[in-house]
Amino acid sequence: MGEVQQKNILQVEDLHVQYGQVQAVKNVSFYVEQGEIFGLLGPNGAGKTSTLSAIEGLIRQQSGTVTVAGYDTLKDSRHARAAMGVQLQSTSFQPELNVAEILELYAGIYGLSLNKQQLQALLNEINLSDAENKKFGQLSGGQQQRVSLAITTIHDPKLVLLDEPTSGLDPQSRRQLWSRIESIREKGNAVVLTTHSMEEAEAVCDRISIIDHGRIIATGTPQILIDKHRNDPDVIAVSRRGKITLEDVFIALTGSAIRA
Amino acid sequence: MSLTIPKTPAVLAALLKADYIVLWRNRRGNIMSVLMPLIIVFSWKGLIPQFGGAFVLANGITLGIIAIGLMGYANAVARDRDKGVFQRLRVSPLPLWTIMASRLVVQLSMILLLTIVVFVAGYQLDGILMPTAGYFVTFFVSLVGGALYLSLGQAIVGRIQSPETVNSTTRLIYLAFIMTGMLGQFDYFGVDFKRIVDWSPYGTVKTILAVSFEPAKWNLHATEALLLSIGYAIIFATLGIKWFKWGAK
Repeated sequence: MGEVQQKNILQVEDLHVQYGQVQAVKNVSFYVEQGEIFGLLGPNGAGKTSTLSAIEGLIRQQSGTVTVAGYDTLKDSRHARAAMGVQLQSTSFQPELNVAEILELYAGIYGLSLNKQQLQALLNEINLSDAENKKFGQLSGGQQQRVSLAITTIHDPKLVLLDEPTSGLDPQSRRQLWSRIESIREKGNAVVLTTHSMEEAEAVCDRISIIDHGRIIATGTPQILIDKHRNDPDVIAVSRRGKITLEDVFIALTGSAIRA
Repeated sequence: MSLTIPKTPAVLAALLKADYIVLWRNRRGNIMSVLMPLIIVFSWKGLIPQFGGAFVLANGITLGIIAIGLMGYANAVARDRDKGVFQRLRVSPLPLWTIMASRLVVQLSMILLLTIVVFVAGYQLDGILMPTAGYFVTFFVSLVGGALYLSLGQAIVGRIQSPETVNSTTRLIYLAFIMTGMLGQFDYFGVDFKRIVDWSPYGTVKTILAVSFEPAKWNLHATEALLLSIGYAIIFATLGIKWFKWGAK
Protein backbone atom coordinates (compact mmCIF):
# COMPACT_ATOMS: atom_id res chain seq x y z
CA MET A 1 0.00 0.00 0.00
CA GLY A 2 1.77 3.20 -1.09
CA GLU A 3 -0.62 6.15 -0.76
CA VAL A 4 -3.35 6.07 1.82
CA GLN A 5 -5.89 8.86 2.08
CA GLN A 6 -8.28 8.62 4.95
CA LYS A 7 -9.77 10.53 7.82
CA ASN A 8 -9.56 7.77 10.42
CA ILE A 9 -5.93 7.28 11.33
CA LEU A 10 -6.79 4.40 13.69
CA GLN A 11 -9.62 1.93 13.22
CA VAL A 12 -10.21 -0.84 15.78
CA GLU A 13 -12.95 -3.34 14.98
CA ASP A 14 -14.29 -6.20 17.14
CA LEU A 15 -11.03 -6.58 19.03
CA HIS A 16 -10.71 -9.62 21.30
CA VAL A 17 -7.64 -10.21 23.47
CA GLN A 18 -7.27 -13.23 25.69
CA TYR A 19 -4.61 -14.32 28.21
CA GLY A 20 -5.12 -18.03 28.83
CA GLN A 21 -8.69 -18.32 30.08
CA VAL A 22 -9.00 -14.60 30.87
CA GLN A 23 -10.62 -12.44 28.22
CA ALA A 24 -9.02 -9.02 28.71
CA VAL A 25 -10.63 -7.22 25.75
CA LYS A 26 -14.04 -8.13 24.37
CA ASN A 27 -15.52 -6.87 21.15
CA VAL A 28 -13.87 -3.45 21.36
CA SER A 29 -14.38 -1.09 18.42
CA PHE A 30 -13.45 2.56 18.08
CA TYR A 31 -11.79 4.96 15.68
CA VAL A 32 -9.52 7.98 15.97
CA GLU A 33 -9.49 10.76 13.41
CA GLN A 34 -6.56 12.84 12.19
CA GLY A 35 -5.87 15.76 14.51
CA GLU A 36 -7.81 14.23 17.39
CA ILE A 37 -6.82 13.45 20.98
CA PHE A 38 -8.65 10.35 22.08
CA GLY A 39 -8.68 9.15 25.69
CA LEU A 40 -9.12 5.56 26.84
CA LEU A 41 -10.32 5.61 30.43
CA GLY A 42 -10.93 2.74 32.77
CA PRO A 43 -10.16 1.33 36.21
CA ASN A 44 -7.12 -0.88 36.83
CA GLY A 45 -7.36 -4.09 34.83
CA ALA A 46 -10.16 -2.77 32.64
CA GLY A 47 -8.34 -3.59 29.38
CA LYS A 48 -6.77 -0.24 28.46
CA THR A 49 -3.16 -1.43 28.22
CA SER A 50 -4.21 -4.70 26.55
CA THR A 51 -6.06 -2.69 23.90
CA LEU A 52 -3.03 -0.46 23.35
CA SER A 53 -0.68 -3.48 23.31
CA ALA A 54 -2.75 -5.08 20.53
CA ILE A 55 -2.61 -1.84 18.52
CA GLU A 56 1.17 -1.62 19.10
CA GLY A 57 1.70 -5.23 18.05
CA LEU A 58 3.12 -6.32 21.41
CA ILE A 59 0.36 -8.89 21.80
CA ARG A 60 -1.64 -10.69 19.14
CA GLN A 61 -5.39 -10.39 19.27
CA GLN A 62 -7.58 -13.52 19.12
CA SER A 63 -9.84 -11.80 16.60
CA GLY A 64 -10.70 -8.41 15.23
CA THR A 65 -8.74 -5.97 13.11
CA VAL A 66 -6.62 -2.93 13.81
CA THR A 67 -5.58 -0.58 11.03
CA VAL A 68 -3.18 2.32 11.46
CA ALA A 69 -3.04 4.83 8.62
CA GLY A 70 -4.74 2.18 6.49
CA TYR A 71 -2.22 -0.55 7.32
CA ASP A 72 -3.41 -3.72 9.02
CA THR A 73 -1.24 -4.21 12.13
CA LEU A 74 -0.99 -7.96 11.50
CA LYS A 75 -0.61 -8.03 7.71
CA ASP A 76 1.48 -4.85 7.31
CA SER A 77 2.97 -4.69 10.77
CA ARG A 78 6.15 -2.79 9.86
CA HIS A 79 4.24 -0.13 7.92
CA ALA A 80 1.74 0.18 10.76
CA ARG A 81 4.54 0.53 13.33
CA ALA A 82 6.29 3.09 11.15
CA ALA A 83 3.11 5.18 11.15
CA MET A 84 2.84 5.26 14.94
CA GLY A 85 4.90 6.48 17.85
CA VAL A 86 4.53 4.63 21.12
CA GLN A 87 5.24 5.61 24.70
CA LEU A 88 4.89 2.58 26.93
CA GLN A 89 3.73 2.75 30.55
CA SER A 90 7.30 2.24 31.75
CA THR A 91 10.05 3.03 29.29
CA SER A 92 13.57 1.77 29.68
CA PHE A 93 16.73 2.00 27.66
CA GLN A 94 20.11 0.34 28.03
CA PRO A 95 21.45 2.03 31.18
CA GLU A 96 24.91 2.49 29.66
CA LEU A 97 23.60 4.91 26.98
CA ASN A 98 23.29 8.65 27.54
CA VAL A 99 20.44 10.85 26.35
CA ALA A 100 22.15 11.90 23.10
CA GLU A 101 23.02 8.29 22.25
CA ILE A 102 19.45 7.14 22.94
CA LEU A 103 18.06 9.85 20.64
CA GLU A 104 20.57 8.90 17.91
CA LEU A 105 19.71 5.21 18.28
CA TYR A 106 15.98 5.75 17.82
CA ALA A 107 16.50 8.25 15.01
CA GLY A 108 18.53 5.55 13.25
CA ILE A 109 15.87 2.92 13.89
CA TYR A 110 13.35 5.17 12.12
CA GLY A 111 15.77 5.70 9.22
CA LEU A 112 16.73 9.24 10.22
CA SER A 113 20.19 10.58 10.88
CA LEU A 114 20.72 13.41 13.35
CA ASN A 115 23.69 15.72 12.85
CA LYS A 116 25.12 17.68 15.78
CA GLN A 117 22.91 20.73 15.13
CA GLN A 118 19.73 18.68 14.76
CA LEU A 119 20.51 16.77 17.95
CA GLN A 120 21.11 20.01 19.84
CA ALA A 121 17.87 21.48 18.45
CA LEU A 122 15.96 18.41 19.62
CA LEU A 123 17.53 18.64 23.08
CA ASN A 124 16.70 22.37 23.23
CA GLU A 125 13.11 21.61 22.25
CA ILE A 126 12.70 19.32 25.25
CA ASN A 127 14.64 21.66 27.58
CA LEU A 128 17.43 19.14 28.05
CA SER A 129 20.28 20.89 26.26
CA ASP A 130 22.56 20.44 29.27
CA ALA A 131 21.65 16.77 29.79
CA GLU A 132 22.90 15.19 26.59
CA ASN A 133 25.65 13.29 28.41
CA LYS A 134 23.45 12.17 31.29
CA LYS A 135 22.24 8.60 31.54
CA PHE A 136 18.45 8.12 31.34
CA GLY A 137 18.38 6.82 34.93
CA GLN A 138 19.98 10.04 36.18
CA LEU A 139 17.09 12.20 34.90
CA SER A 140 14.07 13.28 36.95
CA GLY A 141 10.66 11.76 36.19
CA GLY A 142 9.62 14.81 34.15
CA GLN A 143 12.88 14.82 32.18
CA GLN A 144 12.53 11.08 31.46
CA GLN A 145 9.01 11.69 30.16
CA ARG A 146 10.29 14.45 27.86
CA VAL A 147 13.03 12.20 26.43
CA SER A 148 10.53 9.40 26.02
CA LEU A 149 8.04 11.65 24.21
CA ALA A 150 10.81 13.05 22.00
CA ILE A 151 11.67 9.49 20.91
CA THR A 152 8.00 8.67 20.43
CA THR A 153 7.57 11.61 18.06
CA ILE A 154 11.05 11.68 16.50
CA HIS A 155 9.70 10.47 13.12
CA ASP A 156 6.61 12.71 13.20
CA PRO A 157 4.16 9.78 13.38
CA LYS A 158 0.57 10.13 12.25
CA LEU A 159 -0.60 8.33 15.39
CA VAL A 160 0.90 8.71 18.88
CA LEU A 161 0.00 6.18 21.58
CA LEU A 162 0.65 7.24 25.17
CA ASP A 163 0.05 4.79 28.01
CA GLU A 164 -0.56 6.78 31.23
CA PRO A 165 1.93 9.47 30.19
CA THR A 166 1.48 11.77 33.20
CA SER A 167 1.54 9.06 35.86
CA GLY A 168 3.82 10.17 38.70
CA LEU A 169 4.50 13.66 37.31
CA ASP A 170 4.27 16.89 39.32
CA PRO A 171 1.63 19.46 38.21
CA GLN A 172 4.18 21.59 36.33
CA SER A 173 5.52 18.64 34.35
CA ARG A 174 1.99 17.41 33.71
CA ARG A 175 0.88 20.76 32.31
CA GLN A 176 3.97 20.92 30.14
CA LEU A 177 3.24 17.45 28.79
CA TRP A 178 -0.36 18.43 28.04
CA SER A 179 0.99 21.32 25.93
CA ARG A 180 3.25 18.92 24.05
CA ILE A 181 0.34 16.55 23.43
CA GLU A 182 -1.75 19.45 22.13
CA SER A 183 1.08 20.50 19.83
CA ILE A 184 0.98 17.01 18.28
CA ARG A 185 -2.70 17.59 17.50
CA GLU A 186 -1.93 21.03 16.04
CA LYS A 187 0.32 19.34 13.48
CA GLY A 188 -2.66 17.27 12.36
CA ASN A 189 -1.48 14.06 13.98
CA ALA A 190 -3.66 11.94 16.27
CA VAL A 191 -3.07 10.92 19.88
CA VAL A 192 -4.51 8.04 21.87
CA LEU A 193 -3.80 8.19 25.58
CA THR A 194 -4.82 6.13 28.55
CA THR A 195 -5.20 7.84 31.88
CA HIS A 196 -6.69 7.49 35.34
CA SER A 197 -6.98 11.28 35.63
CA MET A 198 -10.43 12.61 34.77
CA GLU A 199 -8.98 16.12 35.00
CA GLU A 200 -6.51 15.16 32.27
CA ALA A 201 -9.20 13.62 30.10
CA GLU A 202 -11.37 16.73 30.39
CA ALA A 203 -8.42 19.06 29.81
CA VAL A 204 -6.88 17.52 26.69
CA CYS A 205 -9.12 14.86 25.14
CA ASP A 206 -11.47 15.67 22.27
CA ARG A 207 -13.26 12.36 22.73
CA ILE A 208 -13.03 9.57 25.25
CA SER A 209 -14.11 5.96 25.63
CA ILE A 210 -14.69 4.42 29.04
CA ILE A 211 -13.66 0.77 29.12
CA ASP A 212 -14.49 -1.69 31.88
CA HIS A 213 -14.17 -5.48 32.14
CA GLY A 214 -12.75 -5.43 28.61
CA ARG A 215 -15.75 -3.69 27.03
CA ILE A 216 -16.30 -0.11 25.95
CA ILE A 217 -19.28 1.14 27.94
CA ALA A 218 -19.42 4.78 26.84
CA THR A 219 -17.93 6.99 24.13
CA GLY A 220 -18.21 10.70 23.41
CA THR A 221 -16.74 14.08 24.20
CA PRO A 222 -16.24 14.65 27.94
CA GLN A 223 -19.03 17.25 27.94
CA ILE A 224 -21.46 15.04 26.01
CA LEU A 225 -20.89 12.18 28.47
CA ILE A 226 -21.47 14.52 31.42
CA ASP A 227 -24.64 15.93 29.85
CA LYS A 228 -25.92 12.50 28.88
CA HIS A 229 -25.58 11.07 32.39
CA ARG A 230 -26.26 14.25 34.38
CA ASN A 231 -29.64 13.06 35.60
CA ASP A 232 -28.79 9.40 36.22
CA PRO A 233 -29.55 8.54 39.87
CA ASP A 234 -26.24 6.65 40.17
CA VAL A 235 -24.33 9.71 38.98
CA ILE A 236 -26.16 12.06 41.33
CA ALA A 237 -25.57 9.62 44.20
CA VAL A 238 -21.77 9.66 43.75
CA SER A 239 -21.56 13.40 43.07
CA ARG A 240 -19.70 15.14 45.89
CA ARG A 241 -20.07 18.86 45.28
CA GLY A 242 -23.42 19.25 43.60
CA LYS A 243 -21.73 19.86 40.23
CA ILE A 244 -21.60 16.75 38.03
CA THR A 245 -18.07 15.99 36.81
CA LEU A 246 -16.59 13.43 34.42
CA GLU A 247 -15.29 11.56 37.45
CA ASP A 248 -18.83 11.23 38.81
CA VAL A 249 -19.96 9.75 35.49
CA PHE A 250 -16.92 7.45 35.44
CA ILE A 251 -17.53 6.18 39.00
CA ALA A 252 -21.23 5.66 38.34
CA LEU A 253 -20.54 3.68 35.16
CA THR A 254 -17.66 1.55 36.47
CA GLY A 255 -18.68 1.20 40.13
CA SER A 256 -17.08 2.30 43.40
CA ALA A 257 -15.32 -0.96 44.19
CA ILE A 258 -11.53 -0.72 44.31
CA ARG A 259 -9.84 -2.75 41.55
CA ALA A 260 -6.60 -4.65 41.89
CA MET B 1 0.04 10.02 3.02
CA SER B 2 3.13 8.18 1.86
CA LEU B 3 4.96 6.07 4.36
CA THR B 4 8.44 4.63 4.12
CA ILE B 5 9.84 2.03 6.42
CA PRO B 6 13.50 2.33 7.38
CA LYS B 7 16.02 0.22 5.48
CA THR B 8 17.33 -2.78 7.40
CA PRO B 9 21.06 -1.91 7.00
CA ALA B 10 20.42 1.55 8.50
CA VAL B 11 18.51 0.00 11.41
CA LEU B 12 21.25 -2.56 11.97
CA ALA B 13 23.91 0.16 11.89
CA ALA B 14 22.06 2.16 14.56
CA LEU B 15 21.68 -0.91 16.78
CA LEU B 16 25.31 -1.94 16.30
CA LYS B 17 26.54 1.54 17.22
CA ALA B 18 24.50 1.48 20.44
CA ASP B 19 25.55 -2.08 21.31
CA TYR B 20 29.26 -1.30 20.74
CA ILE B 21 28.89 1.74 23.03
CA VAL B 22 27.35 -0.55 25.68
CA LEU B 23 30.25 -3.01 25.20
CA TRP B 24 32.78 -0.19 25.64
CA ARG B 25 31.03 1.18 28.76
CA ASN B 26 31.13 -2.34 30.26
CA ARG B 27 34.85 -2.66 29.63
CA ARG B 28 35.64 -3.55 33.26
CA GLY B 29 33.40 -6.60 33.03
CA ASN B 30 34.91 -7.50 29.67
CA ILE B 31 38.42 -7.27 31.08
CA MET B 32 37.34 -9.78 33.72
CA SER B 33 36.24 -12.15 30.90
CA VAL B 34 39.72 -11.94 29.40
CA LEU B 35 41.49 -12.24 32.75
CA MET B 36 40.77 -15.96 33.26
CA PRO B 37 42.27 -17.00 29.88
CA LEU B 38 45.32 -14.88 30.67
CA ILE B 39 45.70 -16.61 34.04
CA ILE B 40 45.55 -19.98 32.24
CA VAL B 41 48.18 -18.91 29.69
CA PHE B 42 50.43 -17.57 32.45
CA SER B 43 50.02 -20.36 35.01
CA TRP B 44 50.08 -23.33 32.63
CA LYS B 45 53.48 -22.48 31.20
CA GLY B 46 54.86 -25.61 32.88
CA LEU B 47 52.45 -27.83 30.91
CA ILE B 48 53.71 -26.70 27.51
CA PRO B 49 56.57 -29.26 27.24
CA GLN B 50 54.12 -32.11 27.99
CA PHE B 51 50.93 -31.02 26.17
CA GLY B 52 52.14 -28.36 23.73
CA GLY B 53 51.46 -24.64 23.31
CA ALA B 54 48.26 -25.20 21.32
CA PHE B 55 46.75 -27.10 24.26
CA VAL B 56 47.36 -24.19 26.64
CA LEU B 57 46.09 -21.53 24.23
CA ALA B 58 43.01 -23.63 23.34
CA ASN B 59 42.02 -24.03 26.99
CA GLY B 60 42.46 -20.29 27.59
CA ILE B 61 40.36 -19.32 24.57
CA THR B 62 37.67 -21.90 25.44
CA LEU B 63 37.25 -20.49 28.95
CA GLY B 64 37.10 -16.93 27.59
CA ILE B 65 34.47 -17.92 25.02
CA ILE B 66 32.37 -19.56 27.74
CA ALA B 67 32.58 -16.42 29.92
CA ILE B 68 31.59 -14.11 27.03
CA GLY B 69 28.88 -16.36 25.61
CA LEU B 70 27.25 -17.24 28.90
CA MET B 71 27.86 -14.40 31.32
CA GLY B 72 28.28 -11.55 28.85
CA TYR B 73 25.46 -12.26 26.41
CA ALA B 74 22.87 -14.13 28.48
CA ASN B 75 23.02 -11.80 31.47
CA ALA B 76 22.77 -8.66 29.32
CA VAL B 77 19.75 -10.04 27.44
CA ALA B 78 18.05 -11.10 30.70
CA ARG B 79 18.62 -7.66 32.24
CA ASP B 80 17.36 -5.72 29.21
CA ARG B 81 14.30 -7.93 28.87
CA ASP B 82 13.48 -7.41 32.53
CA LYS B 83 13.81 -3.63 32.19
CA GLY B 84 11.58 -3.48 29.10
CA VAL B 85 14.35 -2.43 26.67
CA PHE B 86 13.19 -4.98 24.09
CA GLN B 87 9.53 -3.99 24.37
CA ARG B 88 10.49 -0.39 23.56
CA LEU B 89 12.42 -1.58 20.50
CA ARG B 90 9.62 -3.92 19.41
CA VAL B 91 7.11 -1.09 18.95
CA SER B 92 9.38 0.50 16.34
CA PRO B 93 9.39 -0.68 12.72
CA LEU B 94 12.58 -2.74 12.86
CA PRO B 95 12.76 -6.42 11.90
CA LEU B 96 12.96 -8.28 15.22
CA TRP B 97 15.94 -10.38 14.16
CA THR B 98 18.09 -7.25 13.93
CA ILE B 99 17.90 -6.75 17.72
CA MET B 100 19.56 -10.10 18.44
CA ALA B 101 21.80 -10.05 15.35
CA SER B 102 23.35 -6.80 16.52
CA ARG B 103 24.06 -8.20 19.98
CA LEU B 104 25.50 -11.43 18.59
CA VAL B 105 27.81 -9.54 16.21
CA VAL B 106 29.10 -7.46 19.11
CA GLN B 107 29.74 -10.55 21.24
CA LEU B 108 31.46 -12.34 18.35
CA SER B 109 33.70 -9.28 17.93
CA MET B 110 34.55 -9.57 21.61
CA ILE B 111 35.41 -13.24 21.10
CA LEU B 112 37.75 -12.35 18.21
CA LEU B 113 39.38 -9.71 20.40
CA LEU B 114 39.81 -12.28 23.17
CA THR B 115 41.43 -14.66 20.69
CA ILE B 116 43.96 -12.01 19.64
CA VAL B 117 44.72 -11.18 23.30
CA VAL B 118 45.40 -14.87 24.01
CA PHE B 119 47.62 -15.14 20.89
CA VAL B 120 49.66 -12.16 22.05
CA ALA B 121 49.77 -13.31 25.68
CA GLY B 122 50.82 -16.81 24.58
CA TYR B 123 53.75 -15.35 22.66
CA GLN B 124 54.72 -12.73 25.23
CA LEU B 125 54.32 -14.84 28.39
CA ASP B 126 55.08 -18.36 27.19
CA GLY B 127 56.92 -17.82 23.93
CA ILE B 128 54.28 -19.84 22.04
CA LEU B 129 54.52 -19.25 18.30
CA MET B 130 52.23 -21.22 16.00
CA PRO B 131 52.18 -21.47 12.16
CA THR B 132 50.65 -18.36 10.53
CA ALA B 133 47.88 -20.43 8.92
CA GLY B 134 47.03 -21.77 12.37
CA TYR B 135 46.15 -18.30 13.65
CA PHE B 136 43.74 -17.76 10.75
CA VAL B 137 42.08 -21.16 11.17
CA THR B 138 41.80 -20.54 14.91
CA PHE B 139 39.98 -17.26 14.21
CA PHE B 140 37.33 -19.17 12.25
CA VAL B 141 37.13 -21.96 14.81
CA SER B 142 36.79 -19.51 17.71
CA LEU B 143 33.70 -18.13 15.92
CA VAL B 144 32.24 -21.66 15.84
CA GLY B 145 32.99 -22.02 19.56
CA GLY B 146 31.49 -18.57 20.17
CA ALA B 147 28.34 -19.55 18.29
CA LEU B 148 28.02 -22.64 20.48
CA TYR B 149 28.26 -20.75 23.77
CA LEU B 150 26.17 -17.79 22.59
CA SER B 151 23.45 -20.25 21.58
CA LEU B 152 23.73 -21.97 24.97
CA GLY B 153 23.33 -18.53 26.56
CA GLN B 154 20.27 -17.96 24.34
CA ALA B 155 18.78 -21.27 25.49
CA ILE B 156 19.33 -20.35 29.15
CA VAL B 157 17.83 -16.88 28.78
CA GLY B 158 14.98 -18.41 26.80
CA ARG B 159 14.16 -20.97 29.46
CA ILE B 160 14.69 -18.76 32.52
CA GLN B 161 12.92 -15.41 32.91
CA SER B 162 14.41 -13.92 36.08
CA PRO B 163 17.73 -12.08 35.50
CA GLU B 164 18.95 -13.12 38.94
CA THR B 165 18.35 -16.80 38.17
CA VAL B 166 19.96 -16.44 34.72
CA ASN B 167 22.99 -14.90 36.43
CA SER B 168 23.34 -17.67 38.99
CA THR B 169 22.70 -20.39 36.38
CA THR B 170 25.36 -19.09 33.98
CA ARG B 171 27.89 -18.81 36.83
CA LEU B 172 27.10 -22.35 37.90
CA ILE B 173 27.55 -23.68 34.36
CA TYR B 174 30.78 -21.69 33.95
CA LEU B 175 32.12 -23.19 37.18
CA ALA B 176 30.97 -26.66 36.14
CA PHE B 177 32.78 -26.35 32.81
CA ILE B 178 35.96 -25.16 34.53
CA MET B 179 35.93 -27.99 37.08
CA THR B 180 34.84 -30.88 34.89
CA GLY B 181 36.25 -29.68 31.59
CA MET B 182 39.68 -28.62 32.69
CA LEU B 183 40.28 -31.32 35.25
CA GLY B 184 38.46 -34.10 33.38
CA GLN B 185 40.79 -33.86 30.41
CA PHE B 186 43.74 -34.81 32.66
CA ASP B 187 42.29 -38.23 33.54
CA TYR B 188 41.73 -37.17 37.17
CA PHE B 189 38.19 -38.62 37.13
CA GLY B 190 38.84 -41.74 35.07
CA VAL B 191 38.74 -42.64 31.38
CA ASP B 192 34.95 -42.73 31.06
CA PHE B 193 34.60 -39.26 32.51
CA LYS B 194 37.37 -38.01 30.22
CA ARG B 195 35.45 -39.41 27.23
CA ILE B 196 32.31 -37.57 28.32
CA VAL B 197 34.30 -34.34 28.74
CA ASP B 198 35.90 -34.81 25.31
CA TRP B 199 32.47 -34.86 23.64
CA SER B 200 30.90 -32.20 25.86
CA PRO B 201 30.57 -28.61 24.57
CA TYR B 202 33.75 -27.81 26.52
CA GLY B 203 35.71 -30.70 25.05
CA THR B 204 34.64 -30.30 21.43
CA VAL B 205 35.47 -26.59 21.38
CA LYS B 206 38.80 -27.16 23.11
CA THR B 207 39.64 -29.96 20.64
CA ILE B 208 38.92 -27.96 17.49
CA LEU B 209 40.74 -24.92 18.86
CA ALA B 210 43.82 -26.99 19.79
CA VAL B 211 44.00 -28.65 16.35
CA SER B 212 43.25 -25.44 14.47
CA PHE B 213 46.55 -23.95 15.65
CA GLU B 214 48.31 -26.64 13.61
CA PRO B 215 46.06 -27.20 10.55
CA ALA B 216 48.44 -29.85 9.21
CA LYS B 217 47.48 -32.08 12.14
CA TRP B 218 43.72 -31.81 11.47
CA ASN B 219 42.25 -35.34 11.83
CA LEU B 220 38.98 -37.26 11.96
CA HIS B 221 38.59 -36.60 15.69
CA ALA B 222 38.81 -32.85 15.01
CA THR B 223 36.25 -33.10 12.20
CA GLU B 224 33.86 -34.99 14.47
CA ALA B 225 34.39 -32.40 17.22
CA LEU B 226 33.73 -29.59 14.72
CA LEU B 227 30.52 -31.22 13.49
CA LEU B 228 29.39 -31.87 17.05
CA SER B 229 30.11 -28.25 18.01
CA ILE B 230 27.98 -27.05 15.11
CA GLY B 231 25.29 -29.56 16.12
CA TYR B 232 25.29 -28.30 19.70
CA ALA B 233 25.03 -24.72 18.44
CA ILE B 234 22.05 -25.57 16.22
CA ILE B 235 20.23 -27.44 19.01
CA PHE B 236 20.81 -24.71 21.63
CA ALA B 237 19.88 -21.95 19.17
CA THR B 238 16.68 -23.74 18.13
CA LEU B 239 15.64 -24.22 21.75
CA GLY B 240 16.70 -20.68 22.67
CA ILE B 241 14.65 -19.11 19.87
CA LYS B 242 11.65 -21.37 20.60
CA TRP B 243 11.63 -20.63 24.32
CA PHE B 244 12.54 -16.93 24.15
CA LYS B 245 10.00 -14.31 25.23
CA TRP B 246 10.65 -10.65 24.51
CA GLY B 247 8.78 -9.35 27.54
CA ALA B 248 9.39 -9.97 31.24
CA LYS B 249 5.79 -11.05 31.95
